[in-house]
Amino acid sequence: MSAIDRKLLDELGEIIGAGGIVSRATELKVYECDGWTVEKRAPDVLILPRSTAQLSAVLAALHRRGIAFVPRGAGTGLSGGCLSLNAPAMICTSKMNRILEIDFDNRRVEAESGVVNLHVTNAVKSRGYFYAPDPSSQVACTIGGNIAENSGGPHTLKYGVTTNHVLALEVVLPDGEVVELGGPAEERCGYDLVGAVVGAEGTAGIVTRATLKLMREPENHRTILAAFPDADTATRAVSMIIASGIVPAALEMMDQLIIRAVEEAFNVGLPLDAGAVLIIELEGLEAGLTSYADEVAKTASLAGASSVRLARDEAERALLWKARKRAFGAVGRLAPNYATQDGVVPRTCLPRILRVIADVSRRYELRIGNVFHAGDGNLHPIILYDEREPDQVRRAIDAGREILKACIEMGGSLTGEHGIGVEKIGEMPLMFSPDDLRVMTELRHVFDPMERSNPGKVIPQPGACVEVAAPRRQAPI
Amino acid sequence: MCEADRIAIAPIGAARSLAGIRRSPVALGISMARLARIVAYEPDDMTIVAESGITVGKLNAAMAGARQRLPVDPCGPGMRTLGSLIGAAHSGPLRLSEGTSRDLLIGVRFVGHGGNLVHGGGRVVKNVAGYDLMKLMGGAFGTLGIVTEATFKVRPIPCDYCLTVVPYARAADAFAAACILNDALPLSNLDILSPALAAGFNSTSQFLLLAGFSGSPLEVSYQAGRIRDLVGARGEILDGDRALSSYELLRDIDFHSAPLAAQIAVPPASLTRVLETCGNDIEFRAHAGSGVAQIILAGEHSAEALAKTIARWREVARSVRGNLRLIAAAPAIRDSLEFFDTPNAGALALMRRLKAAFDPVGIFNPGCFVGGI
Repeated sequence: MSAIDRKLLDELGEIIGAGGIVSRATELKVYECDGWTVEKRAPDVLILPRSTAQLSAVLAALHRRGIAFVPRGAGTGLSGGCLSLNAPAMICTSKMNRILEIDFDNRRVEAESGVVNLHVTNAVKSRGYFYAPDPSSQVACTIGGNIAENSGGPHTLKYGVTTNHVLALEVVLPDGEVVELGGPAEERCGYDLVGAVVGAEGTAGIVTRATLKLMREPENHRTILAAFPDADTATRAVSMIIASGIVPAALEMMDQLIIRAVEEAFNVGLPLDAGAVLIIELEGLEAGLTSYADEVAKTASLAGASSVRLARDEAERALLWKARKRAFGAVGRLAPNYATQDGVVPRTCLPRILRVIADVSRRYELRIGNVFHAGDGNLHPIILYDEREPDQVRRAIDAGREILKACIEMGGSLTGEHGIGVEKIGEMPLMFSPDDLRVMTELRHVFDPMERSNPGKVIPQPGACVEVAAPRRQAPI
Repeated sequence: MCEADRIAIAPIGAARSLAGIRRSPVALGISMARLARIVAYEPDDMTIVAESGITVGKLNAAMAGARQRLPVDPCGPGMRTLGSLIGAAHSGPLRLSEGTSRDLLIGVRFVGHGGNLVHGGGRVVKNVAGYDLMKLMGGAFGTLGIVTEATFKVRPIPCDYCLTVVPYARAADAFAAACILNDALPLSNLDILSPALAAGFNSTSQFLLLAGFSGSPLEVSYQAGRIRDLVGARGEILDGDRALSSYELLRDIDFHSAPLAAQIAVPPASLTRVLETCGNDIEFRAHAGSGVAQIILAGEHSAEALAKTIARWREVARSVRGNLRLIAAAPAIRDSLEFFDTPNAGALALMRRLKAAFDPVGIFNPGCFVGGI
C-alpha cells in the first residue's frame, strides 16, 4: 500500500489543482528514469507546482506525513539523480518556467528553476550577453537541474561550472519552509549556503528561484580542428597548448572510433584516417585571435598533428560543435548498447589514462571510444556492448569500474559533471574517507535532517555496499 | 583535547584578519606558520596544492618560473596566508577578471570537530563528487574547522599589463566612465579611488579611475586605442613596470590597519549611489565592475557616533539588497560594533545548524561571526 492515499491526493489537488497531479500508472511511466536508464522506477505520484507557495504547501503536506520526495527538472541527468528511490512522490519544476527579471545593468537574471538553460541565453543574446554553463543537453535541461548537478559543458574550461554563476537561491526546505540564500551582491553575508546547495543533487530541498550572472559575449572566436595520428599524440598536444600560456575557451577530443561514428552520422568532413582530433576554440578580442590561433596551430603541428584546419565561417563552426555535442547519439549506431562515465584526471595524466582505457578495451574484448573535455581532463569513455549477451554486460561493468579506479589512482575524480546520483554511489568510498562522508552527511542534515529530499543519492549509507546490477548506459542527447 | 576541555581555538596565519575583528582573544591561537609547504605543483595541470600557512606571495613566487599565478590579490600578498585568504574571503582588484578564491579553490583539507581530518573536492579542475565543502570553508572565519591544505586552480600570467589612470572631479563621472569601459572591453581590473586614497598616485584631490588591461602586445595595443577613444585625452596609460607598480599600490592600500574600515557589496550598478549616500566624509576604493568597495571614515569620532555611522551604511547597503561587513575596528570601539550583517531569519537558522553540526562543542573561533556564531 503506497503512502500516497486518496486523502493526500485530495489535499494536494486542493493546493495546486487537479491538472498539476499525475497519479495514473501509464502517465507516470515517462518519469521512471532520467538519462541513466539502467534502473527504473516510476513514482506513485507526480506533482507539478506552478509557484513557490504551492510547492511550499506541497512539501509541508508531505512533511506532516513523513513522505519522501524526488525533485526533477527535465530528466536529462546522467547518473540517476532523479530516480524515484525510496520516495513515493516526485516533484517536477517544469511548470515553474518564468524568467522573472533581466537586469542588464548588473548582468543578472532572476529565473524560476524550471526555465530551460538555453532559454536564458536566448533571452539576453540580442544585447550581447550569455549564460555561461552549456551542458550538451542545454536545449532541454533546466536551471534547477543544472544547480542540483553543478553542471558544466565544453566551455567550462574558460568560464567555470554552474556554481561560479549562481549568486542567490530561493529554496523550499523539506518541511516546506521557504528560505532565501545569498543575494544579488558578489559577497555574501555569513556562510556560503548557496555554494552548499549547488551540486547537492537535490538533497537539500528544492530550488525554486535563482539569481544568475550573465557574461558579456566575446568579441570573436576561432575554432580549430587538429588531426593527429593517434590519441597519445593528441593528448600531448593538449598539455603543450596549455603550457604555452593560452587558455582556450574549449578544448575537446574525439578518437578514431568516435570520428568514424560522427562522420557516418553527420558528414562534417572529419579526417577518417586520423587517430584522434582536437576541437580547440579560442575567444576574445579580435586583435589577438589570429596570432593565438597561429600559435595553437603551430603548437599542434609541433606536437605531431597531421593536419590543422581553421573553421572558415560560423556555419562550419556550428557543424563542428554539432558533431561534438551529438557524438553520443552517433555512437548509438555502432553497437546495441553503450555505457559511459565521466571520470576526471589531472590534464597531464591524459596520455596515461588513455593507455589504461586502450588496455582495458583489449583485455575485456570490448570496443571503447573516447570523446571528452580534454582541456579539463574530464573523460567520457564510451564502452560498447550488447545487452543480449550476459557475459558482455558483466565485462562492460567491470571495464567501467577499472577505468574509474585508475582515474582515482591518478589523483582524479569519479565525476566531472554528471554527478554521483545512484550510479556512482558505490564508488564514493574510493574517493572519500568515512570521516569525509560523515561530515558530508552532517551537512546534508542541516538542510534535510530526515533525509526525505532525494533519499539514497550521493552519500552511501555506512556499511552498505551498493552493487550496480547492470552497466551504465547513456541516453542519446 | 580542546573539545574535552572546551577551549576556544582559532587559526593564526599572519595574525591579521582575525586580529582586526575579535573582541576578546581566544584561549588558544594555533599558528599555521609551520604548515607552509607547497605539496604539489604541476604547471601543465594548472593546479597547486599547498598547506594553509604559506603566504600568497610565496605561493606565487614558486609559480613565477612557469609564468603562472594564483590570481587572487589581497592587500600585501607577502603577509596573507592561504588560510586567511580562504577564511576571511580576501580579494583584490583582479576579482573583476579572475574571480575570487571561491571560484578557484577546488580542494580543501581541514581539521574538524573531534580532531578529524576531513577533505572535500580534489586536485582536478572539474569535480562534482560529493558536497562542496570548499564553499563552506570560504568566508567562514575559521568557525567550522581549521583549514590545513588547499588546492587551487591557477592561471597564466598575461604577457603584458597596462593601467589607465584618469582623474575626475566628481565620483559620479568616474563611475559613468567605468561603466562605459566595462561594457566595451574585457578589463583585468576596474577601480575607483576617492581623493585621499588617490594621493599616492600624484592625483591632486580628484577621484581616480584605474582601469587595467592585459594580453598579448597586439591585444594590449588595441585596448589602449579603444580606451583613448572612450575616455578622451585626459587619461594616462601606464605600461611595463610603471603599470605594475601602480597596480601594486592600488592592491596594497591597507584597510586592515585603519581605525575603522568596512567592505560593502551591492549590485554593481548601485555602487555609485550607495557610496554617495554613505556620506562625503568617507574615503573608498571601489571595485567598480564587481559592486564591492572598501570604505573608511575620515576624521576622529566617538564610539557612539561610529556605531551610528556603521548602522547607517548598513541600511544603505541593505536598501539595494547588498551587505556590509567591518574589516577592522580599533580595539577601543569594538564592543559597540556589529562586524557582520545579520542574515535573514531562515538563512541564519540554517547557519546556526551548520555551526552546531560542524562544531558541536563550540571551540572553533566562537563568538565573532554572524549572529554571534
